[in-house]
Amino acid sequence: MEQDMQDFADEARRFLNAHATKAPDRAALTWGVGDDSTAYFSSLPPEQEHEQVRRAREWQRIRYENGFGWITGPVEYGGRGLTFVHDLLYDAVESEYEVADTGVIGVVGLGMIGPTILAHAQPHLKDRWLPAMYRGDAIACQLFSEPGAGSDLASVSTRAVRQDDGDWLLNGQKVWTSVAQHSGIGLALTRTDPDAPKHRGITAFLVPMDTPGVEVRPLRQMTGGTDFNEVFLTDVRIPDDHRLGEVDGGWTVALTTLMNERATVGSEGAGPVAAALSPDHLSALMRATWTWDDRALRARLAELLVDVLATRHLNARALQGLRAGVAPGPEMSVSKLLHGQNLTRAAHFVSEVLGPRIIADTGQWGTYAWTELLLATPALRILGGTEEIMKNILAERVLGLPREPVTTAAKEVRP
Amino acid sequence: MTAEEHELRELRSSVREFLETKSSEEAVRKLMESEPRFDPAVWAQACGQLRLAALALPEEYGGDGFGMVELGVVLEETGRALFCSPFFATVVLAAQTLLASGDARACARHLPGIAAGRTTAALAVAEDDGSWDPALVSARALPDGDGGWTVRGRKSFVVDGTTADLVLVVARTVAGPSLFAVDREATGLTAEPMDTLDATRAMARLTFDAVPATPVGADGAGGRVMAKVLDIASVGLAAEQAGGARRCLDTSTEYARTRHQFGRPIGSFQAVKHKCADMLVQVELAEASSREAARLAAEHDPAFPVAAAVAHACASRAYLYAATENIQVHGGIGFTWEHPAHLYFRRAKSSQLLLGGPAVYHERLLDRLGI
Ligand SMILES: Cc1cc2nc3c(=O)[nH]c(=O)nc-3n(C[C@H](O)[C@H](O)[C@H](O)COP(=O)(O)OP(=O)(O)OC[C@H]3O[C@@H](n4cnc5c(N)ncnc54)[C@H](O)[C@@H]3O)c2cc1C
Repeated sequence: MEQDMQDFADEARRFLNAHATKAPDRAALTWGVGDDSTAYFSSLPPEQEHEQVRRAREWQRIRYENGFGWITGPVEYGGRGLTFVHDLLYDAVESEYEVADTGVIGVVGLGMIGPTILAHAQPHLKDRWLPAMYRGDAIACQLFSEPGAGSDLASVSTRAVRQDDGDWLLNGQKVWTSVAQHSGIGLALTRTDPDAPKHRGITAFLVPMDTPGVEVRPLRQMTGGTDFNEVFLTDVRIPDDHRLGEVDGGWTVALTTLMNERATVGSEGAGPVAAALSPDHLSALMRATWTWDDRALRARLAELLVDVLATRHLNARALQGLRAGVAPGPEMSVSKLLHGQNLTRAAHFVSEVLGPRIIADTGQWGTYAWTELLLATPALRILGGTEEIMKNILAERVLGLPREPVTTAAKEVRP
Repeated sequence: MTAEEHELRELRSSVREFLETKSSEEAVRKLMESEPRFDPAVWAQACGQLRLAALALPEEYGGDGFGMVELGVVLEETGRALFCSPFFATVVLAAQTLLASGDARACARHLPGIAAGRTTAALAVAEDDGSWDPALVSARALPDGDGGWTVRGRKSFVVDGTTADLVLVVARTVAGPSLFAVDREATGLTAEPMDTLDATRAMARLTFDAVPATPVGADGAGGRVMAKVLDIASVGLAAEQAGGARRCLDTSTEYARTRHQFGRPIGSFQAVKHKCADMLVQVELAEASSREAARLAAEHDPAFPVAAAVAHACASRAYLYAATENIQVHGGIGFTWEHPAHLYFRRAKSSQLLLGGPAVYHERLLDRLGI
C-alpha cells in the first residue's frame, strides 16, 4: 500500500481505537452466541427506535468531528477532500469495530440526497445543509414517489406554484418515504408546468421538514415495522433559493439521485445482511441443523455462493470505475438486480435449511430470527426501481434496444 | 485507462481482427468437418504473427512472459470466434501442466517448441467416466527395468488427442497418480477420434499399450499437479465461455433491434427485452468472475482457488443461458443448421461438462472454501 494510504489507515485505526471497541469476527461466528438479528429494515418499538437513531447520529457526529464523516466531500463544505479509495479503506477498517448502525442517515441521506445537493444546489444551501447532514444533525429523505407515480416517476402530481413574492407553495402527497419520520429535510419532486411534456414540467425543492404544512404519517410495511411513511404537503411555503436546478428542470436533478440510489442499494455493506451471505455463516447454519450432508442442499448452497462471490467480483470492478471518477451509470442496475436476487435466494435457501423452525419460534438461537430477512426480501425487488424497470434500463440504455412504443402523449418511465 | 488496460485492449483487438478473417463462421464450419480439425497454416500464423502460443510462457522457455490475465483476453476472443485450433489443449492444458509440475528439465525440453508453435500438446487425464479426479485414474505406469517407464491404459475425452505431438498422461504408479510425457510417434499408442457434441473441439480416445513414457515431476505428485492445473484450466475455460456468452448476447441484441414482427422491432417487446437484460447480467458476472480469477492467479493470491471455482461455475451457467436464449430470440431460424446459434449451444453445453460439470465444480467450490 502507498505511504499516504498507510498513514490514512493508521489514522483511522487510532481514531477507532479511541472511540470504539473491536468487533468480534463476524464471519467466524460461534453458533448461539451474540445477536442473531437478520433485520434489513428496523422493526423496533418506537422508544427503542429513537434510541437507535440517537446512537446513529452520535456516532456520525464523532466521525465527522474527527475527519471521517465525509471523506470524499469538498473541503469548502466541510468534507475531507480525499478520494473514493480513502473512503473504501475507511469502511474496511471500520468494519473491524463495533459501531452504531448509521443506515438511517447513510442510505438515503448521504448516499443519495447528499450527492444531489452537491451537484445541483446553490452555494448557500450547500453551506447550510451539507455539513449538517454529514454531521448527523439533519437526516434527509427522498420525497419522490406518490400514490400515482412509482415506476412512472415523471408523472408526479404534487403541485408547486410560484407566489407573488417569489416563494413556492407546495401541495400534494408523497408515499413510501423512508426515514421521513426522522428527517430534517427532504428532496421533493413537484409539478411546476402541467402543460409541458411530463418530464419537462418538474422542479426539485429542498423541503425543511419542519416547515408548516408538512405532515408525516407512518405507514406500516409487511415486516411489521414502519420505516416508510406517507408525507402530506399542504400549502407548504418554500423560498425560491431552496430550488435545486432550473425551474422545470427537476428531471435532471432526479436522475442524479436515482443513479446514486442504484449504486447505494446495490452495494452489500456490512452488518447482519453481509454476514448472512458469508460462506462461513451459511455452513455453520447447516452444521447446526444437521443438514450438512444433504446433497441437494449442498448443491444449492454452492449455487448461491457462486452468485454471491461472483457479484462481489462484479462490484469490485464497478468500484474501480467509480474510483476512477466515473459517475454511476446504467450498469449499476446490474448490481442492484443481483443484490435483490442474491438476498432473496439466500433467505429462501436458509428457510429450507431451517424447515419448520422458520414458521414458528422455538426460541432457538439463529432460527426464527431469519424471518426478518425473509420478510424484507420482497422489498428489494421493488425499492429503488423494480426489477422490471431495471431490466428495461439495461436493455434500452446498455444494450440499445428500442424503447417501448409511446402510447400516451409523453411517456417516460422511472429512469 | 492505465497503460496495462491499454495494452490489454490492443491485444484484444489484434486477436479479434485476426480471428475475424481467419476464423469466420465459414472457416469454422469447414474445419469442424475435416481432419485435423484445425488449419495448420492459420495456427502457424497465430503462433508466428501473434505469438499466441508464446504469450503466457516464461521468457526462459522462449515465451513472452505474460500471465493469466493476458491469456484470459485471448481465450475470451477464441471462445467468441469458436476458433478451431490446438490453442486450448496446448497452451492452457498441456503447457500449464508442465509449468505446474515444476520439472525444469521437462519444461526446457517441451516448452520452447510449444512457444514457437512447432509442438502441439494434449493432456490425458479422464477415462471412460469423464472424471478429472486423478484419484479415479486407472491407467498404470510401470518401470521397464532399464530406468525407463511404460504406460498401459485407456484415456477418453482427450482434447486434440489425435493430432498432438506431445501427450501428457496421468497414470498410477505405486506412489500414486503421476504425470508422464509420451511422444505421439511412440510405439503402442493409438488414437481414435470420438464423436463429439461440439464438433469445434476435437476429442479422442487414446489407448496406451506398454507405451514408453518419461516421468514429469516427482513420482506420485500427479494429484497435487492436477489440482493446480484444474484451477488454471477452470479459469481458462471460464474466459473462453465468457467470450462465447458475450457473442451470443451481441447477436441476440442485434437481431432484436432489426427483426420486425407486428410492425415493431421484437426488441421493443418487453419479454424479449428482459431476456436480453437477463443475458447481460449473466455475461457481466461471467466476465467479472473470470477476469478477477485471472488477476488473482497472476498475483499468486491465496484467494485464487476459490475464485477459479466460482469463475468456472458462473461462466458455465452464463454461457449455457446465453446460448439457449439466443436460439429463442432468433425463433425458427435459430433452430436451423445454417444458423450459427447451435454451434454456440453445443460449445456451451460441452464446456459446462468438460471438466466434470456442476456436481463436481460445486463440491470443488465448497471444498476450496473449507466447507
Ligand atoms: C421499502 C421501500 C422503501 C421505499 N422508499 C422510498 C423513498 O424513500 N422515497 C421514494 O420516493 N420512494 C420510495 N419507495 C418507492 C419505490 O421507489 C416504488 O415503490 C417503486 O419505484 C415502484 O413503484 P410503485 O410501487 O408505484 O409500483 P408500480 O410502478 O405501480 O409497479 C407495479 C408493478 O408494475 C410493474 N411495472 C410498472 N411499470 C412497468 C413497465 N414500464 N414495464 C414493466 N413493468 C412495469 C412494476 O415492475 C411492478 O411489478 C420505497 C419502496 C419500498 C418498497
